[in-house]
Parts: sequence; structure tokens; C-alpha cells
Amino acid sequence: MLFYEFFANDAQSAMINKGMPGVRVVPEPIVSECTVMEEIEAGVDGVMDDVVAALTRPLTAEEKSPKPKKVEKPSRIIFKGNLQEVNRFFYQRGWADGLPVVPPTEEAVAEMLTGTDLPPDHLVAELEPRRGKATVEKIAINAVMAGALPTYMPVLIAGVKALKSGSPNTIMMAASTGSFAPVWIVNGPIRHDLHINSSSGTLSPGDIANATIGRAMGLITKNVRGVRKGMEDMGILGHPGKYTMVIGENEEANPWEPLHVERGFKKEDSTISLLFSQSFQQLGSYGTDDKGLLRTMVYNMTPGGMGAPWLILTPVNAQSLAKRGWTKKSINDYIVENARAPRDHFPRLPGMGEDKGDPKEPVPIIRLRPGQSNPIQILVFGGLNPLIGFLSGGYTVTEKIELPANWNKLVAKYKNVVPTYARY
Amino acid sequence: MSSNKSNGQYEVLSPWAEADPIPIRGLAPRLTDLAGKKIGLLCNIKRAASPILATVERKLKERFPTSEVSWFRMQSMSVSELEPQNKAKFEEWIKGVDAVIPAVGD
Repeated sequence: MLFYEFFANDAQSAMINKGMPGVRVVPEPIVSECTVMEEIEAGVDGVMDDVVAALTRPLTAEEKSPKPKKVEKPSRIIFKGNLQEVNRFFYQRGWADGLPVVPPTEEAVAEMLTGTDLPPDHLVAELEPRRGKATVEKIAINAVMAGALPTYMPVLIAGVKALKSGSPNTIMMAASTGSFAPVWIVNGPIRHDLHINSSSGTLSPGDIANATIGRAMGLITKNVRGVRKGMEDMGILGHPGKYTMVIGENEEANPWEPLHVERGFKKEDSTISLLFSQSFQQLGSYGTDDKGLLRTMVYNMTPGGMGAPWLILTPVNAQSLAKRGWTKKSINDYIVENARAPRDHFPRLPGMGEDKGDPKEPVPIIRLRPGQSNPIQILVFGGLNPLIGFLSGGYTVTEKIELPANWNKLVAKYKNVVPTYARY
Repeated sequence: MSSNKSNGQYEVLSPWAEADPIPIRGLAPRLTDLAGKKIGLLCNIKRAASPILATVERKLKERFPTSEVSWFRMQSMSVSELEPQNKAKFEEWIKGVDAVIPAVGD
């Protein structure tokens, strides 16, 4: 297998996870996505002897019959120490995310487990690529570390199911050089039970639910899925959203169907949707009526963006458009038709075949696959200002959040965990 | 008690998930020589994959003029599990080659 040498760790993990640890690999020095033929020529030239040898050198005994790896059986209590020692231990093991963690003691995990009716050893999913077992207890341990409250357990369990049902796309997105960060969108009544922010500063720090649900899912990605930075996650620039990006949709201010209803769930259901997003862009609007808002959208779509865009409308934007007769579908149709760029402004057209027309002809930035409509997802959240947002990315999966029998009691117990800011 | 708050000591559980061992497979027998053999080139849609493999093809032909190559072009960036629609075609293709060089990454 030929691969860019930067991917050595990733290639090794992939071979182990596919059950072929001995695949012969030939690292080459050609930079990703290289367009310079002289560099490709020189890079291939330098490794051709290795390529031929990989195909013809006789197999070793280990290559013919590799020995199975020993099954990991770590002890239940993995470490004892003070707060600083626990944090150093977890960090040095590669189990933390660089921020301090809450020690997952038996007591803390037991309290976290009150957030679900499921037994601790219940297997929610085996998560690719490592096929780590996401038991309820492992989810709870990572949730404690993230600083989550027990009431978030149903959301986290549904989040794990989303990672599973989204495979193999969720593997590709989490491991991509494009640094796609998971965005977790919560719909339904649970937003209010958990105080998930959907208004001013939704994506800023300061709300425990928004902060720790995403963080817990990030730790699960690392410790259960086995997707770790520079090992399996090959993101080049990285993405601060990998710490957390949790959004409550502002359904009450949304004049159209909320996301989960659009995706086939009942309005009274609570759901979590997973989207992988490469970038988050905020735009000053060109006006507060439909013409101004739509111009903002079509003039700022970029041909170099990766993945289908999500359009973020604040409540005032959504209502301005709706009262002038716009629907999600007509907004989609308008953007697809009017967001254009000259053909030679595109870095490439993946999956769209060769496009050899006039390089200066304006062509649609968003190209529909056969049978596709509404390629742009529209989400309503944020404060009361006409700023418009784009999340570029793609691939979405939605899971229903199942609540334990004692949900109301549980919610009441943690309902007052909210910040109170003193005036100064 | 697993933690003793009076002396600030914590006994902590492991966040690292267990995993069943993945059945492992050895490599297919190697070729003794590439002369006269058909070499498969497995290519995804990443921009550099095709020119890199085209260069490999040319250099193989220079070294082993009697060798042949056969291309399989994936329709996505990732592994074949993503392409169930192409699985049958892929399996047919793989039967017809003596060895494969994948260039499916960046």
C-alpha cells in the first residue's frame, strides 16, 4: 500500500483494525493532494524499489501467520492518586483532551448511572474503528471526566447510537485531514429539561450542557472509538469544535418544521443529530428583508468549501423570510440556482466527473446529485440579530433520545444547576 | 470506599473501552517476479491518487515490459465498505489480477 509518509500512524491503526497488521506499506514523500507532476514523478521514483520488493520479497513466518494480539483486560480500578496525579495519569495515557478532568471514582460513576435505566454492562454499541465496547458504564466514566450531569446520560447514549448508525461515514469524517468536528444538535422537549442553549451565544462557552455533552462525546471518540489526534484523527489544521459543539435548535422561534420533524420524528420526541462540520462562518447580513438575507447567502458561498453547507438563521432572519413566503425548499432552490462561481475557481469537483467547460463561465457552487433536492439544511438558533451563519460539512444522522422512567424526578434534582451572573 | 476525600485520594475507573480481538489474517503469497503478471492499481477519488498510480504504471512498464496493469477506480474517498454498489465489480476485478497496489489515501 502506497501512502503519504505523514499517515504512518493512521495506516498502522487501520491495518490492525482491519485484521491485517502485516500489510506491506510503502510510505512516499508526495504531499497530500499534490498537483505538481515533477514532485509525483520524483516521489514515485524514489520508492519504486520498495514497491517491487513489497510485491516480491518472500513472506516471513509472521507475515504468513501473524500471532493474535493478547486480549486487553485492564483492572477495574486503574489508578489511585490525588487530583493532580489522576489528571497527569489520564493525560499521559492519552485518555484526556488537554483540559482537567473530573476523577471518575466509583461514587461519581454511580451517580452518573442514575441517569439511565440501563444496567452498567449494557452494550450500547461497538464503535469503529477500534470496535471499542461502548457499555453504559464506559459512557458514564467518560461523562464524569467531562463534567457532565447524570441527566445527560440519555443524550450521550443516543449520541453513541448515532456514531454507530452513521458508520462508516462517521469514521471517515472523524479521521479526515479536513478536521471535521462533530456538531451535536438537540431537538425536542429535553432542551428545556437540560437547559441546552439555543439562543444568545449558543456556541460559546458557559452552558454546562452544551459544554460537557460535546466534551463527553469527544472523550468517547478517543477512548472508546480509538480516534486520537495524529494517530487515527489526521486533521491537518484541527478544529476547536472537537472540544464541543452542541446546539439546541430554537424550535419555538422557528417558523418552519424543526430539524427532527423534517427528519421523520414527532415534534414531542427528543432527538440528537450528528453532523460533521469543517468550518463555521458568520456573516453580516446585506439587509434584514428577504432580498438582503438571500444576497448574503448566495454571495458568500465559496467554491473551496468542503461538504454541503448548513445555513444557520437566527430567529429574526427565519421569521423575516417566512413572513415573506419563503420556505426551506424555496430557499434551497434559490441558493442552488443563484450561488455561482467561475468554473476555474473550484479546487476540484469531487464525485462530479470532469467538467471541461469554459473556465470563466459561472457554474452552480452546489451541484445536486441525481434525485437530490434540498441539499442545504436550515437550522434556527442564536440571539436576536440578523447575522447569518454557515456550517460547512455534511453527513447527518439523527437518533431518538430515550428517557428513564424517573425522568421528571431526575430533572428536578439537577434543574437548578444554572449559572447566576452577579451585576457589577 | 473507592475515594477518600479526607486525604484527597481518588481511586479511578478506566475510560478506555474493552474490545474483542479482531481476527487477523496473514498476507497472500508474494510473486516471484512481476514479469508477465497483471498488477491491479486501486485508486480512489483523492486528487493525487490517479497521477501517482499512473506514474507507478509507467515505471512498472519500464522495468517489466511484459507486465500488465488493471485499474479499479473507486467512486469515493474511503474504503470499499462505502461502496456496496461496487462490491461485486470489485470482487470480480480482484480475481483477475496477480497483485494489487492501492493508493487510496492522500
